Amino acid sequence: MIKITELQKTYRTEEVETIALNKLSFEVKEGEFVSVMGPSGCGKSTLLNILGLLDDPDGGSFLFNGTEVAHFNERKRADLRKRNIGFVFQSFNLIDELTVFENVELPLIYLGVKGPERKQRVEVVLDKMQIMHRRNHYPQQLSGGQQQRVAVARAVVNNPKLILADEPTGNLDSSNGNEVMQLLTDLNEQGTTIIMVTHSEHDSRYSHRIIRMLDGQTVTENILV
Amino acid sequence: MLKNYLRIAVRNLAKYKFISFINLFGLTVGITCCLLILTYILHETSYDRYNSKADRIWRVTRSFNDPNGVVSLHLGTVAPPFGPLLRHDFPDIQKMTRVLQDDRTPMRYEDKIFNEDNMYFADTNFVDIFDVKFLAGNPKTALTEPNSIVLTPDVAHKYFGDADPMNKVIRMDNQLNFKVTGIFTPFPSAAHFHPATLLSFSTLEDSAVYGKKQLETNYGNNSFFTYILLPKDYPVKSMEARFPAFLDRHISFKGAPPGYLPHQGTKLYLQPLTSIHLHSHLDSEAEQNGDAGRVRTFGAIALFILLIACINYMNLSTARSSLRAREIGIRKVSGALRREIVVQFLSESVLISYIGLILAAGLTWLTLPALDSITGLSLSAETLLQPAVLIPVCLTPLLVGILSGLYPAIFLSSFQPSKVLKGLFKAGGGNISFRKVLVVFQFAISIVLLISTAIVFQQLHYMENTSLGFNKDQIVTLPYNSGLDKTYESFRTRVLQDPHIRAITRSSRIPSGRLLDSQGASTESGDSLRPVTTTIKVVTVDQDFLSTYGIPIAAGRDYSRAYGTDTTNFILNVDATRSLGVSRPGDMIGRNFSDGNTKGKIVGVMKDFNFESLRQPIVPMILTLPAPSRPASNYFANISVKLAGDNMDIAKAIDRLGETWKTYLPEVPFEYNFLDARFAKLYQSEQRQGQLFTVFSAIAIFIACLGLFGLSAFSISQRIKEIGIRKVLGAGTGTIVWLLSIDFLGLVGLAAILGFLFAWYFMDHWLRDFAYHISIQWWIFLAAGVVAAFIALATISFQAVRAALANPVNSLRNE
Repeated sequence: MIKITELQKTYRTEEVETIALNKLSFEVKEGEFVSVMGPSGCGKSTLLNILGLLDDPDGGSFLFNGTEVAHFNERKRADLRKRNIGFVFQSFNLIDELTVFENVELPLIYLGVKGPERKQRVEVVLDKMQIMHRRNHYPQQLSGGQQQRVAVARAVVNNPKLILADEPTGNLDSSNGNEVMQLLTDLNEQGTTIIMVTHSEHDSRYSHRIIRMLDGQTVTENILV
Repeated sequence: MLKNYLRIAVRNLAKYKFISFINLFGLTVGITCCLLILTYILHETSYDRYNSKADRIWRVTRSFNDPNGVVSLHLGTVAPPFGPLLRHDFPDIQKMTRVLQDDRTPMRYEDKIFNEDNMYFADTNFVDIFDVKFLAGNPKTALTEPNSIVLTPDVAHKYFGDADPMNKVIRMDNQLNFKVTGIFTPFPSAAHFHPATLLSFSTLEDSAVYGKKQLETNYGNNSFFTYILLPKDYPVKSMEARFPAFLDRHISFKGAPPGYLPHQGTKLYLQPLTSIHLHSHLDSEAEQNGDAGRVRTFGAIALFILLIACINYMNLSTARSSLRAREIGIRKVSGALRREIVVQFLSESVLISYIGLILAAGLTWLTLPALDSITGLSLSAETLLQPAVLIPVCLTPLLVGILSGLYPAIFLSSFQPSKVLKGLFKAGGGNISFRKVLVVFQFAISIVLLISTAIVFQQLHYMENTSLGFNKDQIVTLPYNSGLDKTYESFRTRVLQDPHIRAITRSSRIPSGRLLDSQGASTESGDSLRPVTTTIKVVTVDQDFLSTYGIPIAAGRDYSRAYGTDTTNFILNVDATRSLGVSRPGDMIGRNFSDGNTKGKIVGVMKDFNFESLRQPIVPMILTLPAPSRPASNYFANISVKLAGDNMDIAKAIDRLGETWKTYLPEVPFEYNFLDARFAKLYQSEQRQGQLFTVFSAIAIFIACLGLFGLSAFSISQRIKEIGIRKVLGAGTGTIVWLLSIDFLGLVGLAAILGFLFAWYFMDHWLRDFAYHISIQWWIFLAAGVVAAFIALATISFQAVRAALANPVNSLRNE
């Protein structure tokens, strides 16, 4: 599903040049659950941004379902993203001014899904995430675990082929963290590919494979399943 | 999608109440100013358009030119023969009407006597050209017969109460009877003249009133407003091009040198009816007209105030961009295109603008009476409801929303989700210099308005207090009445018996009025008289004019009853002697001089004084006495009475004057004015302009300060950690306040420099309209700058002091 070859990304300021990704290559097959680990600054987040088409690589190749997407323009990237990719963040990143329902509804709005269908799809997902009873609450009225479940609901509402999770349990206690990991595992079992950046060895054990990074490069790959 | 945008917009409005208040308040006040000024502009530009034939009606005007072709006098009125002759010579003229204005004439019915203003002699064509709605009587015939009068309901009610006014007889000036033949609806306020009574023009054919022959041959009395009706889209210029030949055909100047053609000395023009109010500033107008320049100025002020409000929106939206950054990131991650984010933020600013419009509509309705009281107009908010106005008005918030929202929208939509979602976004960075430019712009506009206000008031103060060359205080003016023709000397003696009264005089015109009369003067050149090339204005006075007004003699003597020959003698002003090439006034004394048909000698030269408003320069003028053979009322229109001094009972003096008046003129109401009030009235439009400037500059500064308040609050909140660290390291409150204020003060300083330049340019231009004006003084600029800086400092320091006094432990702990 994803094949990156010699991916490069360098951040430059006036005085400093930081190599975030240094000819990084790997492949993720459809239905896989992959964890990416490594110390802070090793390039994990940069990698996730590029995989999520939020950022451009400076060099190398990025094939998504066999299509070279490394240098897609904004419109194409947005289109590919909204149809195929869901995001889960460490800090949940819900919009405070929107209710649970409205937050989850957002990707469907940009997908152009009509109102009645939107309502039905959001309700199905909220039900699945067991937060239907909180549909009219605002994010700040929810616990961290509930907020992350809303974020996962938002990530999956448009049935993406790929979920990119950036330390999804980083802000949660262990019990809520486990719940979220279970949700992701369930999604993976239903066929969704998941790439998760994490610092947690515990969380990484939910995945099939661990890619360990250092200084923008892959150092090891452990296959767990 | 739009629903989602609006939903979040409304929730953001509610969440950030303070910023929302600043934005909404600014936009509401800005739009209100625009609506108010729009109402004013619509009123000013609608003059005379109520006439169904408005675009086909033209007024004939006449100029008098000196031998160099320079216009010395341009009148909105022409001589009476021109109307019929034009109609005869130009068959394309479909209708023509002549109108003669008559003011302050006593009218009487039974025991009710009033001095009537706004009386107009008009012929039957008047109602064919202008839309006059008759409530009673036949419009086709009401003005046909001599001695017919048509009234507005108000005037009719004044004389006849609730009785039917038709066929009743009103007596004019105790000389002529007029039968009421109709009642007409008053002209709308947006008309360039407002007749209260219409008198049949045929009455003038009576030689006791004016005379048929005079109407046909007198080219010297240019008092007749003459309107013509032309076909639609008629090529007026081609008709005007034939006017010189027309003039040469019909008029001749007595004593003109051989080869001189009348069109070299006078010209006729056509003026579209609808442009009279805003564009015609001729030497004789039916009423005081408006001014297109003023309309433009206020239009610009309205737009600038709106712009200041828009800038607040731009500044505050971009300044607090960090608060929306995460939302933008999430939307982008969820698949939003940049275009969609731009549309979302634009829809927010458009929504706020529409809320502003709704609030502004209410505020306009509430504040319109205040504008009415300043402008002296009766403006109606209903003018805003006509579709041609309402549609653009309703579209304006769209424009305002886009204008104020576009920059923030483009700026906000440029956020990289990969950065903002990781919290790498730095609030307020990158666009700070643009925000500074906007603040400078806001304050520059405010400072221009401040300086303009100060200069308008300075000029007003100057005009009201500068010496006119005579003492205008304690002078009471009255209309002269023909009833005094035979009894004036006795009346005068009786008036002067009152110790409260120092002097009394009669004259054709009085200071504060216009100098419009000139007859063509000639001066001694060798053994003969040579026509003077400059126009010399003439005022007919009696022997007491100079002493009553306290105008000093520069050479020679004043008129005196002791000299029987004075009726053919002249007194000039110094400017006239100068225009005749004589530098020493004394050299003029004893010279032969003629004006019109009067030949005599110059017996005195009076010092220059401002007869007209200070907008007009002092011009060459002469005084003459009336010919004793003709009734004094042929010459005089005014009586001026000088009261005896400052420490006296003015009311008592007026009472006694009134009693004397009633003894001599029982049929004429006693009505008087104070000369200083007449002069003050000349500057009423500047007074109003000054008041409006004050209001609008206060609003502009207030909105700009609100923006500055919001911006400084935000900027200080961004530096709270820095403030904490500085305090821990030993900085005092004063140092911190200075640190936080200096940036903004620098901006205000820059704005002041820009404001100075623009204000100087505009106000220098404005002052040039006045022949006598102040010179712009540097301290006005300095004062305006200091005021603006002080207001800005007060705005900022409120927050800066609060931040500086805060406990640094709290701000550092937050980090």
